[in-house]
Amino acid sequence: MDLTVERLAKMIDHTELKPETKREKIKQLCEEALTYHFATVCINPVHVQYAAELLKDSDVKVCCVIGFPFGATMSSVKAFEAREAVKLGAQEVDMVMNIGALRDKNNDLVRSDIETVVGASGSAHIKVILETGFLTDDEKKQACVLAKEAGAHFVKTSTGFGPMGATPHDVKLMRETVGASMGVKAAGGIRTFKDALRMIEAGADRLGSSSGVALIEDFRWAQYSDAWTQPDKPCWTCPSRQANLAKQPKEIYLYYKQRCLTCPDRDQNIFND
Amino acid sequence: MSKPSSDQYSDAWILHVSLSDRTVRREPFPHSLFTNFLGGRGLGVKLLYDRLAARLDPLSPDNLLVFAVGPVTATAVPTSGRFAVITKSPLTGTIFDSNAGGSFGAHLRRAGYAAIMFEGRSSSPVYLWLNNDNAEIHDASNVWGTDTRLTTRRLLDETDSQAQVACIGPAGENRVKLAAIITDEHRAAGRGGVGAVMGSKNLKAVVVHGTGKAAVSNEQALNKAVERARRLIKKNAVTDKSLPVYGTAVLVSVINEHGMLPTYNFQEGTFNDAEGVSGEKLLERLYVRQYHCYGCPIGCGRISRVHGEEVGGPEYETIWALGPQCGINDLEWIAAANHRCNLLGIDTISMGSTIGCAMELAQKGKLSAPLRFGQTDGIFELIDDVAFGRGLGAELGEGSRATALRHGAPELAMQVKGLEIPAYDPRGVQGHALGYATSNRGGCHLRSYLIGPEIMGVPVIVDRDRTEGKPSLVILYQNLSASMDSLVLCRFTNFAWTVDDYADLLAGCTGLQIDGPGLLALGERIWNLERLFNLREGLSSRDDKLPPRFSTPLPEGGSRNRVVNLEEMLPKYYALRGWDKEGRPTKERLKRLGLAKV
Repeated sequence: MDLTVERLAKMIDHTELKPETKREKIKQLCEEALTYHFATVCINPVHVQYAAELLKDSDVKVCCVIGFPFGATMSSVKAFEAREAVKLGAQEVDMVMNIGALRDKNNDLVRSDIETVVGASGSAHIKVILETGFLTDDEKKQACVLAKEAGAHFVKTSTGFGPMGATPHDVKLMRETVGASMGVKAAGGIRTFKDALRMIEAGADRLGSSSGVALIEDFRWAQYSDAWTQPDKPCWTCPSRQANLAKQPKEIYLYYKQRCLTCPDRDQNIFND
Repeated sequence: MSKPSSDQYSDAWILHVSLSDRTVRREPFPHSLFTNFLGGRGLGVKLLYDRLAARLDPLSPDNLLVFAVGPVTATAVPTSGRFAVITKSPLTGTIFDSNAGGSFGAHLRRAGYAAIMFEGRSSSPVYLWLNNDNAEIHDASNVWGTDTRLTTRRLLDETDSQAQVACIGPAGENRVKLAAIITDEHRAAGRGGVGAVMGSKNLKAVVVHGTGKAAVSNEQALNKAVERARRLIKKNAVTDKSLPVYGTAVLVSVINEHGMLPTYNFQEGTFNDAEGVSGEKLLERLYVRQYHCYGCPIGCGRISRVHGEEVGGPEYETIWALGPQCGINDLEWIAAANHRCNLLGIDTISMGSTIGCAMELAQKGKLSAPLRFGQTDGIFELIDDVAFGRGLGAELGEGSRATALRHGAPELAMQVKGLEIPAYDPRGVQGHALGYATSNRGGCHLRSYLIGPEIMGVPVIVDRDRTEGKPSLVILYQNLSASMDSLVLCRFTNFAWTVDDYADLLAGCTGLQIDGPGLLALGERIWNLERLFNLREGLSSRDDKLPPRFSTPLPEGGSRNRVVNLEEMLPKYYALRGWDKEGRPTKERLKRLGLAKV
C-alpha cells in the first residue's frame, strides 16, 4: 500500500477518552482533527454535543464510545446512550460488547446486545469493541462472527483501558474472520507511525489513537530512513508479551503464556525489552 | 567599513581577535560560508580547516578558538540562545565543537556577530568586552585565579549587569585538558578541553552585551514555522512532560532498567542504588525550580538546593559520571561535586569517567592511590587537584586515556579518540555504539543520539540489538546533528521536530531556499570536512574503535550477554558515507559535497 500522510490521517480516530478530560482538551482535539483531517474524534458521550458544534460542516466526524469501558451494562442502557449520542451529533458509535456473555458462550445475548445498539443508532456506523485481552483467539473469532451477524460495521480490538492493546496478531485474526466487507479498527497502545503501519499491514482500516498528531508528524521521518521499519523482535508485537496476571483472568493469562512455550521464536524471548 | 544591517544573518560580522597584539578587527561574514556551512559548528570547522596548520599543538598560540552562533540564534525559534565553541581539542587532537545554553549566544548575535575568532596568546590575562559593536580587550588580572561564579559576578559588575559571561575557571587557566567554558554560572561548553585552549591564550572570559535585533528574512514564514515548532514541543511527552518535570535525570531509571547505566567504570550496566540518584529522587529531595535557557519552552535545567546553597544541575550525565560510574549513590554529594566542577570549570563527564577509571586502576593494583568505588572521601580534594594540576590530579587532568596508558592498562580507559564515553553502555545499543566509534570528536552521545529510537522509541522504537539498518540511521542522525549544531539549536528539540521543521525554521529566518534533504546535505558536508580535518591530523580508521571491554558481555541486567558488533556495521557505514575501506572520503563524494578543492 502506498501510504501517504493524507491517507494515514483519514484512517485515524483522534481519541480522548480519559475520565478527567476537560472541555479545553476536547476543543484542542477537534482543532487538531480539523488541521490534520482525521476520520473522527473519538470521545466520551458527555463531550459529543460540544464536539459536534466544533466540527459542524467539516470532514471530521464525531465518534462516541458506548457502554465504555466495561460493556457490562444492560443493552437497554447502551441503546439509550447510543440514541442520545447520535441525537447530539455522533456519527459513529464504538460500543463495548458484553464480554462476560461472550466468555459464557451466550452468543444470543452478545448478538442481541449489539443488535439493540445498531437499531438505536440510526445511520451511525457501529464498531464493536471486543477487548481482546480478555479473550482467547477462538473467542475473538466468535465475537467477530456475532458482530457481523448483528449488523455492525466494524470490529475493534480494545478500549485502551483493558489488559492489552491492539496487536498485529489480533488485527490479522479479526480481518481474516470478518473478510473485506467489514471494517477492522485497531486501538490501544498505537503511539507511533510504526505501530500504525504494523496494524495497517495486518489488515486494519481504522486506527484509534490518542497520539494522532504524533503519528502523522513523525510519519515524515519515514522518508529519511528505511531503518524504522526493520523487523522487530517477534515478542514485541505478540499478545503473549502483554499478558498480565494482575489484569487478566488466570486462565486467559495462562492461555497466552503457554503459547510462548511452543512458539517458533522462543529462542529470541530472552531479554526483557 | 559600514556597520552590518543585521537584517540578515549573513550580514553579521566575524570578529577577529588577535590576543598576541591585543587588536580586534571586524570582517564581513562571507555569504558562501553561510550557504555552505550555515554557522555555529559548521562555520567554525571551516574556519579551522582553512587556517590551522596540521598537527599543531592545540595549546599553542597558533590554535584558533571560535565562538559562533547560527542563523536562527536570538530569533523566535525555540532554544535559539545557544552558542558553539570550535577549536582543535587538546584532549583528543581532533576537530572539536562544544556548545552551551544560557543566553550568551543570543547576546552575541544581537551584538551583530556571527562569530568571534581568537588567535595568538595574550602576555597576561585578559577578557574581551563586547558591547554591541564596540569590542575591547580588558585586563583580567583581578579575576584570574577566581572561580567561574565569582568571575562572572565581578565582570558583570565591571561591565554591564545585563551582559552575559562565558569564562573559564582555574582548570582552564591551568590548561587542564578536561577544562570547560562556563556561562550563566552553570551552563557548560564542557567537552574536549575547550576551556584549556581558552586558558592557553590567557583569555579568562568573553563578556557580551547585545541589544540589537536579530531580524529575519520572512517574518510570516518564520511565525508559521515557530508556531508549529512550539505546538510540537507541547505535544511531545519527552519535551512537555519528562524533561520539564524531572530534567535530564529522568534518564537514570530508564537507562538503568535497560542495563546500560555504566557502573564501576563500565564493569557493570546496572546500578543497585539507581533509584537513589534518579530524577524522581532529585525532584523529591533537592529541586528548587526549573531553569530555562534563552527562548526555551522545555526547561530541562534544574536549580537544586545543596547544603543550604542554590546550585545549578545536576544533569543526567553528571549524575552518572560522579555517581554510578564511581559507584557513588549520594545524590547530595553528586550535586555538590557537580557544583564544584562548575566553579572550577571542569567537564563533569570526563572528570567522573576519569576518576572511575582511576578507581578501577587502583582496584586492579595498577595505581597506588586511596581511591575505591563507592567512596567519596577525598574526591572533592582530588577534583581541586585536577583543576590546579597537583599530584594525582595533574595525571587525571590529562584524561582517562593518558592516565590508563601511564599505568599500563590502556584498556581501562572508556574513551574513543581520547574523549570519555558518556552515560550509555554501548553494549545495549548497537546503533549508538557505532555513533560513539565514528564520532568526529570522540566518545560523544550527541553526534548521533540513537538512544531516541533505540531506547525511548522516538520517533519509533527500533530493535537496539540489530545491526541491520543502523549505519544508515547513524548517518542520518550525524548529518542532522551537524546541521542542528550549525543552526545552534538544542538537541532536545529533536524529540519533537523532524528534519523538515529545522529546514522550515532556517528558511523563515534567512530566506535560504532549503528543505529537509537539503539541510541533511549541508550536515553531510560539515561531517566530511571534520573527517578531512581529522585525517589531516593523522587519525585513521584505526581510531574508529571502541574500548575492548565492549567486546565482553555484560554479566547481568537488562543488557546482559550483549557485546558491540562494530565489525558488522563499520564497513557498511564507510560504504554508505562514500568513504573507502580506510575511512577516507572518496574524490567522488567530496566533489558531490562541494569539498573537492579543500
